Amino acid sequence: MSESLSLTVNGVAYSVNVDMGRNLLSVLRGELGLTGTKEGCDDCECGACMVLIDGKPVNSCSFLAVQAADRSVTTIEGVVTPEGLDQVQQAFLEKGGVQCGFCTPGMIMSARALLDQCPDPSEEEIKIGLSGNLCRCTGYSRILAAVALAAAAD
Amino acid sequence: MPLVTEAERFIRSDGPDKVTGSGRYVADLSLTGMLTAKFLYAGVPHARITKLDVEPARQMSGVFAVITQDDVPERRFGSVADRTLFAQDVVRFEGEVIAAVAAIDDDSAQRAIDAIVFEYEELPPLTDLEEAIKDGALLVHENWESYAAGSVVRDGNVASFTSIERGDVDEGLADSDHVITSRYVADASHAAPIEPRGVVAQWEGDRVTIWSSTQVPFQARDGVCETLDLPSNRVRVVVPHLGGGFGGKCGFHYEAHVAALARAARRPVRLVFSREEEFLAPDRRREGMIVEITTGMTNDGDIKARKAKVLLDNGAYSADSSFFPHMAAMHAIGPYVIENVSAEASSIYTNHQPSGSVRAPTAPQGCWAVESHTDELAAAIGMDPVEFRKRNCVDTGRMSATGQVFDEIGLQQCLSDAVDGLGDISNLPEDESIGVGVGWWGSFPGASGAYVKIDSDGRGVIITGAQECGTGSVMTLPILVAKELGMDPDDFELVYQDTSAAPYDSGATGSQTILNNGRATVEAAQQVAAQLKDLAAKELEAAPEDIVLVDGRAHVAGSPEAAVDISRLARIASRGEMLLGRGSGTPAEYPSAVGVSCVGDQDLSWWVGPQFSCHAARIRLDRDTGVVRVLEVSTAHDSGVIINEVGAAGQVEGGVLMGIGQALTEGTVYSEDGGQLNPAFLDYKLQTIADAPRIKTSFVEVHTPGMGPHGSKPIAEAPNVATAAAISNAIAKLIGRPVRQLPMTAERVWAEARS
Repeated sequence: MSESLSLTVNGVAYSVNVDMGRNLLSVLRGELGLTGTKEGCDDCECGACMVLIDGKPVNSCSFLAVQAADRSVTTIEGVVTPEGLDQVQQAFLEKGGVQCGFCTPGMIMSARALLDQCPDPSEEEIKIGLSGNLCRCTGYSRILAAVALAAAAD
Repeated sequence: MPLVTEAERFIRSDGPDKVTGSGRYVADLSLTGMLTAKFLYAGVPHARITKLDVEPARQMSGVFAVITQDDVPERRFGSVADRTLFAQDVVRFEGEVIAAVAAIDDDSAQRAIDAIVFEYEELPPLTDLEEAIKDGALLVHENWESYAAGSVVRDGNVASFTSIERGDVDEGLADSDHVITSRYVADASHAAPIEPRGVVAQWEGDRVTIWSSTQVPFQARDGVCETLDLPSNRVRVVVPHLGGGFGGKCGFHYEAHVAALARAARRPVRLVFSREEEFLAPDRRREGMIVEITTGMTNDGDIKARKAKVLLDNGAYSADSSFFPHMAAMHAIGPYVIENVSAEASSIYTNHQPSGSVRAPTAPQGCWAVESHTDELAAAIGMDPVEFRKRNCVDTGRMSATGQVFDEIGLQQCLSDAVDGLGDISNLPEDESIGVGVGWWGSFPGASGAYVKIDSDGRGVIITGAQECGTGSVMTLPILVAKELGMDPDDFELVYQDTSAAPYDSGATGSQTILNNGRATVEAAQQVAAQLKDLAAKELEAAPEDIVLVDGRAHVAGSPEAAVDISRLARIASRGEMLLGRGSGTPAEYPSAVGVSCVGDQDLSWWVGPQFSCHAARIRLDRDTGVVRVLEVSTAHDSGVIINEVGAAGQVEGGVLMGIGQALTEGTVYSEDGGQLNPAFLDYKLQTIADAPRIKTSFVEVHTPGMGPHGSKPIAEAPNVATAAAISNAIAKLIGRPVRQLPMTAERVWAEARS
């Protein structure tokens, strides 16, 4: 059953008609054209679909769009600042934390949420903060280094 | 020293797209009027089709096309041509495609799939490799003899066979002081890129453009041409960003199905796989394997003879698996000096998902088996396993087991460096240990092409047939071009992964991009450099051979004060000859084998520009649970001169982590009838950042002439060879014997420790 839904994504208010059973990921990608958020497993296992809901990281594949109504959603498209790349994005580039890039948006969202909550994380805290995001390319060493660099630069 | 070091912080040019989410992958593409594709799969491993009626689906609203094998040409494909696009009469694995639907949306497509009448009579599934080669075994392909297969040696359920023989193995074993036999079994595993595959196809007149998440766009194009009977210039395959492949996206996958659907529907069509489909359907999983090795040696620890028998699970079809037996035989022999060898390897048809190239096919399991066996040999005579390897491994000037004498190689140095990289290991806690494994991997020279142009503003474009799968190989090409032209890598943009824009390249397969396309791109850049020097010579009234290109300018060597900007030369050239180079980099020739006989030869007994590696792992074992934690992996690689240190180290780190997964958690579990029981990340566990150990990377940079640019060799697959072996040997030290099945899950380690 379709209903009208109000969503605020990256500070922009949207009104969309969607089936109440739709997950947030499919609405972001299909209705709003925000394809930076990726689908890797549709099972909460890979973290490629990570977005922030009121600043907290959430797997949008397993979160109903209707649950996001009247809350603030941030996707990878909302991370870039008017001045340019966010420190986390810049650090991923500088440390070689990007290879195929498919996990990268989700990784950056988890890292951003971690640093917003814990500006000076230990290595262990970074690992816990990013443990819901799978990367098949990098071996994680450079992602770890990137988040540490971003923390130092923030 | 690397051409570009870590400290120089080279940033890949596709990086900003990827960190901002603006980069497009196949699933992100949307075309006006685009339909959704879905497949009907067999769902059973082995059955005879008794009824297939798609008419009910065709009549449904929102459904634009439903196709089966009846709607496409009768063409078989594969390294043994044993497969058609859709199942015909018999289904041989659960993920075989029966029919394809194009509909207005997901729900309509699913309803159409559900409406197809598909009835079958189940046949007994063949899932056991050793049963499959017994006399009288059920044949997976009753008509196997009718398939085209080139020089592949086959027999019934043996889809391909290779043997390597040198010396007299029986005599060598008889003359040995110790003869040790080991048997190892590896479960099948998966490439598991995080991006599930997708294909979009759109026809305009008699031309089709296909956007595909393939590692090998030219091979995909050729597959479409072959199976849909189309000329190559009517089929354009374009790859947007590719979300990883690891071999799983090599080959020809579903591009023809979607193109045929789009033609029938008269609309663009998009197929995007779910994670479950990604596990079940593609003909690209890492093959299960049984390895039996017998080695004879002297009391002093000199290997005298080795006999090996390897069975590989080919699965139902032979996408590209025909060379696997030769590769597996080489890994069973290993990078050792052995005068007498006899290795036989067979890839066996079963009713499992087809096997295909996954990052260093046959190597992680083969290396795990032979290196675990090597530690058993060392233990039998009480010799340190590192010392045992130094004594027996190949080295510069020594002859391998297949009769190859190597030019300068760095394996012995890799052994020393990897072990040294672990630091002081003399006083480890009682629940910790270290293990070592050495590996080798071939390099694969081949044809490849590229263009380089510089436009009137002095900015350049590299137009290459090469495919970027995430490794950064294509992103490295501007470094090579800039070096030839005295310019900055940022002066160059890339046009890549488009079969209609660029010359042929074999794709992101066999770690070959820098090796082959790097050479081609350098050749193209050298042509442009020669043009620039001619132009500069006229401007500076000098001889072209005296001109050098440095920091964006051209000047006479030794006289930098009288220089002309390359951008000025580009402006001059734009009015006439234009700055345009082409390269096709002639591949190095394979040496011919001497003193070795080989049935089912796939040209792999001798490796041109072989890569060597040693991985040393420090682990901790919880004896109560069998849980192994990898604390540190120290690696050393001879991949020749390193071009881009960040990229190369990234390949090693990623390869190590994939190796840890294969060692400990990644294995497909099959039901008795051949169905996968864990086709999801919940049950098929990849390593997370929390599992990742410290990884130390060192390169033994042996300048290797005649291979890649600047004396380089490939790097992407080699780091995925020796990690599981190193972990296995560390576990064996703690529990007193090796765990003989891969992955060495907590349950298996626990059981072995108590047996």
